[in-house]
Amino acid sequence: MRRALRSAAGLLFLPAAAASAQRPALGAAFDPATRAAIQSIVDSARADGLPADALVNKALEGAGKHAAGPRIVGAVRMLYGELAASREALGAASRRDEVTAGAQALHAGAATPDLHALRLAAGRRPLGMPLMVLTDLMSRGVPPETAAGIMDSLVRAGARDADLVAFQRNVRLDVDRGAAPAAAATTRVRGALAALRSH
Amino acid sequence: MPDHEPMVADAVLGELRQPVPVSATFNARVMRAIQELPHRHGRVVPLPTRSSPRRIRIAFGAVAAGVLAMFALPSSPRAHARRVQFVLVAPRARNVKVVGDFNGWDTSHAAFHAKNRGGGVWSVTAPVPVGHHRYAFLVDDTVWVADPMAPRADEDFGTPNSALLVPDQE
Repeated sequence: MRRALRSAAGLLFLPAAAASAQRPALGAAFDPATRAAIQSIVDSARADGLPADALVNKALEGAGKHAAGPRIVGAVRMLYGELAASREALGAASRRDEVTAGAQALHAGAATPDLHALRLAAGRRPLGMPLMVLTDLMSRGVPPETAAGIMDSLVRAGARDADLVAFQRNVRLDVDRGAAPAAAATTRVRGALAALRSH
Repeated sequence: MPDHEPMVADAVLGELRQPVPVSATFNARVMRAIQELPHRHGRVVPLPTRSSPRRIRIAFGAVAAGVLAMFALPSSPRAHARRVQFVLVAPRARNVKVVGDFNGWDTSHAAFHAKNRGGGVWSVTAPVPVGHHRYAFLVDDTVWVADPMAPRADEDFGTPNSALLVPDQE
């Protein structure tokens, strides 16, 4: 019977160990005060049902890039607020990757009404990719209002993720070649919308 | 395949599906022959005798573990992963690593160390969990570089990041 129990325990804890290995953990990369501050924020996020892994990853990124403790804590605290705002704008039923991508968009300059409008426009369509492209546009210099309007029109026109990837690639190439970001984005979106309407 | 072959195949299959005529006493003769076979108690089904209780306990334990695992382990989107290729053109680099949310921003993960493919092209293909991720290339253990082909993400710590969305379905 003992052997049977050992077999059972082995089978039970093998996948458990594999699962825990995939979950990010703070580890020993922080001084005690920084670690305690980060853990407090992470615990609050977990209690709120927010994707706390994103906060741990933010802290680990800061440690990996040798940022000072207070700077890491500040970045983690800011992300906590952005995750909460993102979920509120996108809806409580939003997927974790949507909430995380929404927080990125807010960080890059989008407003919560932009995210809410995108949710209304998208319906059940996953918003991970639209939010990622929105963040990219703003990061490349497209004004937030312009970028949000572009994404809203693309989503309303039924753009799939592949369409958005192609649009983002075209804008990036134009900007890399010297185009003004807003001009590149507004020009490319006209072509993308025309292509979508012709289908 | 020529066009007429499916017709030939249909004809052969149709012939094979026809009932085979047997005599009216066929079933009775078969059953009588079976009843006349000698009885072989304990040999028809070769169950293990001495070791069977232990094997049964182990098997029971394995099944119990499976059932427990189904209920005890949290279902997580991170359990699913897809292989993603990362490419950076860096002709002067001595080493290139991919670091991001998917490996805890840990530069020591060998699975994310790119190889020099020649001509200045560095690449690595590695499993990345489903979901939204941020990442960057670390060149020569000192310079952080965003993926020039990927969407941009935040840069809270003064160095650029890229974004990656691994879908849970195509």
